[in-house]
Amino acid sequence: MGVVRAHTRVRSSGRGTDVLPLLPFFIFTGYFLLWPVIAVTLQSFKGNKNEWTLDNFRPIVHGGPYLHSFIVSIKLALITASIGAVVGAFFAFIIVTYVRGRLKNVIDSISAVFANSGGVPLAFMFIAAFGSNGLATKFIRALGFDIYAGHFTIFSFTGVVAVYTFFQAPLMILVFQPAISGMRKEWREASTNLGASALTYWRRVGIPVLLPPFIGAFFLLFAGGFSAYATTRALTSGTVSIVPIVIGALVDGNTQASQANLGAALAVGMILVAIVVMSGYVWAQKRATQWRQS
Amino acid sequence: MSKKDRISSTLELRGVSRHFGQVKALDGLDLLLEPGELVALLGPSGCGKTTALRIVAGLEVATAGELLVNGDRYNETPANARDMGMVFQSYSLFPNLTVSENIDYGLRARKIDSAKRSKRVTKMLELVALESKAKSYPHQLSGGQQQRVALARALAIEPRVLLLDEPLSALDAQVRSQIREEIRRIQLELGITTLFVTHDQEEAMAIADRVGVMNQGKLEQIDKPTTLYNNPATPFVASFVGQANRIPAEVSGAGNVKVLAQKIPLSPLSTVSEKTKSVIALVRPEAIHLTDSNDSESWRGLVAVKSFLGPMTTLGVASEEMPLIHINLSSKDARKIEIGDVVAFKISADEIMVESA
Amino acid sequence: MSQTFLRKWALITFASLLGFTLFVLPVIASSIYSFQKPGGKGYTFVSYTWLVHQDGFFQSLGTSLELAILAGILNIVLMVPTMVYLNLKGHRFKSVVDFICILPLVIPVVCLALGAQKAMPSFLQNTQYELVFFFVIIGLPFTYRALDTSLQTVALKTLVEASRSLGASWIRTIIRVIVPAIRSGITGALFLTFALSIGEYTITSLLHWETFPTWTVVASQQNILGAIALSVFSFVGAIALLSTIALFSKRSAQHVEVNE
Repeated sequence: MGVVRAHTRVRSSGRGTDVLPLLPFFIFTGYFLLWPVIAVTLQSFKGNKNEWTLDNFRPIVHGGPYLHSFIVSIKLALITASIGAVVGAFFAFIIVTYVRGRLKNVIDSISAVFANSGGVPLAFMFIAAFGSNGLATKFIRALGFDIYAGHFTIFSFTGVVAVYTFFQAPLMILVFQPAISGMRKEWREASTNLGASALTYWRRVGIPVLLPPFIGAFFLLFAGGFSAYATTRALTSGTVSIVPIVIGALVDGNTQASQANLGAALAVGMILVAIVVMSGYVWAQKRATQWRQS
Repeated sequence: MSKKDRISSTLELRGVSRHFGQVKALDGLDLLLEPGELVALLGPSGCGKTTALRIVAGLEVATAGELLVNGDRYNETPANARDMGMVFQSYSLFPNLTVSENIDYGLRARKIDSAKRSKRVTKMLELVALESKAKSYPHQLSGGQQQRVALARALAIEPRVLLLDEPLSALDAQVRSQIREEIRRIQLELGITTLFVTHDQEEAMAIADRVGVMNQGKLEQIDKPTTLYNNPATPFVASFVGQANRIPAEVSGAGNVKVLAQKIPLSPLSTVSEKTKSVIALVRPEAIHLTDSNDSESWRGLVAVKSFLGPMTTLGVASEEMPLIHINLSSKDARKIEIGDVVAFKISADEIMVESA
Repeated sequence: MSQTFLRKWALITFASLLGFTLFVLPVIASSIYSFQKPGGKGYTFVSYTWLVHQDGFFQSLGTSLELAILAGILNIVLMVPTMVYLNLKGHRFKSVVDFICILPLVIPVVCLALGAQKAMPSFLQNTQYELVFFFVIIGLPFTYRALDTSLQTVALKTLVEASRSLGASWIRTIIRVIVPAIRSGITGALFLTFALSIGEYTITSLLHWETFPTWTVVASQQNILGAIALSVFSFVGAIALLSTIALFSKRSAQHVEVNE
């Protein structure tokens, strides 16, 4: 009186046909993701008359405004990722330790909105708040501090840093929380029970375990801070020259071939940086999960 | 001072309570562990046993009462200065440290020099038979191996008291009995005073010198396992420890219980008010015997279930107006009985414990 | 131990103050600002309604909505079968697909835009619908994560085997069993792609198309207050919407993992 089992064949047959159902995906991403990247890379090696050349890379490597833009981009990414990582880690710790239930759901949702904010709306909001006539500026002025007393404006590098932090930190909160939740309270209790101080615990167990995911999250923030375009564009209209903006300027409107090729070379530069960051992230992820129990 | 002197301490809880607002997790617990004794705290979840253990360890604070080790008050002593070794239910090994480094952890915290430390670590590894795994990481070990390391780590610091918080609950059944025996063997060898918390009564009964049954923050009875089993002091203990049939019965005036077709004296430990008539009688399966005779005192029913348990077999007998009654008998005797047979049986106990219906 | 109690509340207070300055203050300040009367004194709703009256508001909004809906649909049609197959039989390819889906996060969108200009055939480049494909690509990291998490929590193999052993065809199994089971993942992916598409600026502007975001940037150059009003509205609106959903969602707090 047993149940007749139909042959479900859920096991992989091991033959080449296994990949068939995934072809739409591979074709789609191959054409719309990989092919443009390859095209840009190829273009960067082409000269005015379509010949192969390394000329497009010379302006970048030899210093001058193009190299400068890379430095600015990297600086911006580094600073905002650092601030975002530290601030975000702190908030992530507070949230995981002290916040429960519905409130936590709400905070997570709000963090998601903040983390995915950026671009034009964010720029405008910050202009409204921290512009020279912004309400937040006035509020702080009323408290006694004039943030415009020095060289600061919202339209400067520092201003961009402030705006970026607005979405970097929440992104860190989202990404780093699982790492903190993964810290078992039994570790802390066992450490105490064995006679160690809090400092010893953090030094020998806590920090070593949290460091790889922290670094991984940092790389993620760096990638975001490096490739962001819309926010700075809307905020500064060109005064802060990060690479995406330089590329945009080269490619906008009536472009000569040489300028387009240079833009491509810059793009390839960005991709190289992205690859380095990506490798760092993958490495950190591997380290983060190596001790995990099944 | 020999090692044995240092390890065998007395542990006493006097009127220890823990209140969370209105909730009483622990209500006036009195407990005294003699040197070298293994006492198990047994009870369902929420009964307060883990709270009691954590108060001893210093991971929670008592709202009332005293904790004494060798007569010294420990209430204010910080958790990391109590010299007690604790083994948790699971996941307590430091994942980024090897087995040796885990065991070494408490010794390093005490600033013991490295030569002495490595000798001690080696000794602990031998004690739990895991020398080959010294350089392995926790995630490379099985559940049973991890708990053995946790035990070695707790004992490495030569604690006054050993505390075990449901150390076997997360393990597979087979591994559970092995590790349980190892814990007892090591505990006896070292003569260390031990408090063992569990919800599994078989575990508690198998290895403890005394077992304390807890319910809703209170200690209902603490005795040797055999005493607990044969002379339960309250209905809760009777039904929690060992199996018990719950048979509707009636209290008759003369201090007797009319259960099934018999009249058996009421146990003085029962907690029912004078006026109660309808009660639930608690009868152990092995206190019921099949009988050939058809006298007026035997009860008849149909064998509905037959469970072979190795040396013993349990029959589930269905009868009119009664819940399924379980009867234990030797498998040899059970051979001639089949499902569907009609059997006659009697209770052969001197007293019956009852609780209100 | 009152020491721990004090320390806990000191930390929470500090965190709240810091959080307020960094995150809440800008939102509140810009919100109040958006109600200002152009030219100074008083408060008004006028900035909010101004934008609606501009030329091109409805057209660009319609374009954005249309593109976003198409992107959402394409995303689901492409990714749901892919992810289901991946988790069911295609385990071998999981790491490859995972890697491909992370790429849009790491490769700067600017580069993608540039490559699109160079690589896409002219018939594609002449229509704004080319954006639909790129919106899907940009949303891949989130889509993958949402669907994958959803599929992992469901006992996929068991469900499929149960359904098939009861005689259901593959199609019936997918529609009647799998899709309902991963409903939360699908709606999550849909929502994210939609939101991303509506707000996407970079690729749209570099490919010289006009959608709602690019239109507002141009239009608001004449009226900064209007632009601010819109920004505030979309931001606060998103927070309000998601918070309400979160307040009424019964599931225990899950970790929103953008990346792993």
